[in-house]
Amino acid sequence: MSRLGRAIVRVPRKISKGQTFKVQMVITHPMETGLRKDKKTGKVIPAHYITKVEFLFNGKKVTTLHTGAGISKNPYFAIMMKATESGTLTINYEDNKGGKWSKEVKVNVA
Amino acid sequence: MITRRDLFKVAGVGAVALAVAPGALRTSFGAPKKISLEDALKEHLGVGMSALKESNLIQVKAPTIAESGANVPVQVKANIPVDQVQALYIFADSNFNPWVTTVEFSPMNGEVFFATRIKLAKTSPVRAVIKMKDGSLLAASKEVKVTVGGCG
Repeated sequence: MSRLGRAIVRVPRKISKGQTFKVQMVITHPMETGLRKDKKTGKVIPAHYITKVEFLFNGKKVTTLHTGAGISKNPYFAIMMKATESGTLTINYEDNKGGKWSKEVKVNVA
Repeated sequence: MITRRDLFKVAGVGAVALAVAPGALRTSFGAPKKISLEDALKEHLGVGMSALKESNLIQVKAPTIAESGANVPVQVKANIPVDQVQALYIFADSNFNPWVTTVEFSPMNGEVFFATRIKLAKTSPVRAVIKMKDGSLLAASKEVKVTVGGCG
């Protein structure tokens, strides 16, 4: 799956100073539990899921998520955030097979 | 003398035994074992169900009836200042592994809020547990009815 690990992040276009805003993201990931069987071969599909997602704003930790296979396929996460200055929101995430990705989004505070 | 009826009885018992056997064999052959809610709570919080305190400050938003267990939107919000909160845990009682996620907050969040989509094996309560900085645990739950399970 070539799209594995791709993420879409959405933040409001205009944010006023000190306002709390919602950060939403969707990652393309199968989130296999390791319990499902392939219907054709009867073999167990190995577990493959996101284990950790980190939100950093200007290098400072905002939120850390530890996730298991209980999260749906193509996981969606939403958090609230507060910013007093413009900057970059960096999201680092990794899965149990050693996959590591990073995504950067600009946050404009007016 | 074996009557026709007796024969059916014996055959019936045999068939039941055969049907049960594969199930029994599968569990005895070290297949992954289901983790109970109590064990999952102990693993992630260090304490069991009895240490949790029901709180109406936490709101768990989830559908009452979910058509598919593979994709159940869950939203957790709490009227607690974010600097008093250490982490938020989400558990789904009857899942294979009841622990779903742990969210660590920081003052930069502004408020305690988290939304995601989770899998539910069958109808069960979805629990949100908030661990405060002083060590106390607050909990709230919402029952979700599932018509089709999501943990194949």
